[in-house]
Amino acid sequence: MSSRVLVALRVRASPERAFAAFTGEIGAWWRPSPMFAFTPRDPGVLSFEPGEGGRLIQTLRSGKVFEIGRISCWEPPRRLVFGWRQATFAPDQATEVEVSFEPVGAETRVTVEHRGWDSVPASHVARHGFPDGVFLRRHGEWWQALLEGLNAFMASDAGKDQTW
Amino acid sequence: MADKRSTLISAVVYRDPRAALAWLEKAFGFETVMLIEDPSGEIAHSEMRFGDTLIMVGQEWDENHKSPSSLGGKNTQSLHIHIDTDIGAHFEQAKAAGAEVIAAPETQFYGDRTYRCRDPEGHIWTVGQTVKVVTREEAEVASGLKITGWV
Repeated sequence: MSSRVLVALRVRASPERAFAAFTGEIGAWWRPSPMFAFTPRDPGVLSFEPGEGGRLIQTLRSGKVFEIGRISCWEPPRRLVFGWRQATFAPDQATEVEVSFEPVGAETRVTVEHRGWDSVPASHVARHGFPDGVFLRRHGEWWQALLEGLNAFMASDAGKDQTW
Repeated sequence: MADKRSTLISAVVYRDPRAALAWLEKAFGFETVMLIEDPSGEIAHSEMRFGDTLIMVGQEWDENHKSPSSLGGKNTQSLHIHIDTDIGAHFEQAKAAGAEVIAAPETQFYGDRTYRCRDPEGHIWTVGQTVKVVTREEAEVASGLKITGWV
């Protein structure tokens, strides 16, 4: 799994708070991308089942649950690794996301590394016909937007109301 | 694009962009905010942030797109970093990371304290911090230059 995209953003929160918001409040800050949808159905709501062996799942309006991936590493507040599959992936196609939370002064550098895209061939529908570099860049830009969303959520009234 | 990019971005060329990403973080405090690697592990694209600015760090494209280290150290552009905190500490950090010092920190007639160095592949970087407010008239007197556009 060597083809990868990495993005990072400093957020105005401690690693503890950022980890808790990233995992516990993903349903509130996540913004689905029509281009990178997990299933062809409605975007649903994302949630983590905490802990190693837990899952990142998407719950559709119908109540159906799609498993995006298993959590292989759960080390609050510093590191999180989980699988990432779209419904259209063949059994041998899988990607993985590693998120790290590194304190920098009063802020936290949140780094997302999404790897394993070389298991998904160029002709796959998930790649929309983009050349590899363009696809990874578009995907990385979505991750950047997601991290901005996480940062904005933590600064919002809804995010502030949470106890961490 | 949620992560706002400035209108002008320097794309800095390296023979070893991976080493450059690590060095620029260690020496100057840049942070990698995007890195894309192709299936063979080569860097396809990268962006580093410093303050409100981005640079891109990439490899040589062809015979006409080279790092100074492939050109006998020649530069056709140089990069300027403007900081608002301790320039002395910034200089020491760069030096400790192995920057080749061209000029140690010195206060210039226009009110900035600057130093200049080369990175491991020979790019010339100037780093400055405004330490004194200087009027246009004072700068003209101090330098003997005619200055327009001073704000």
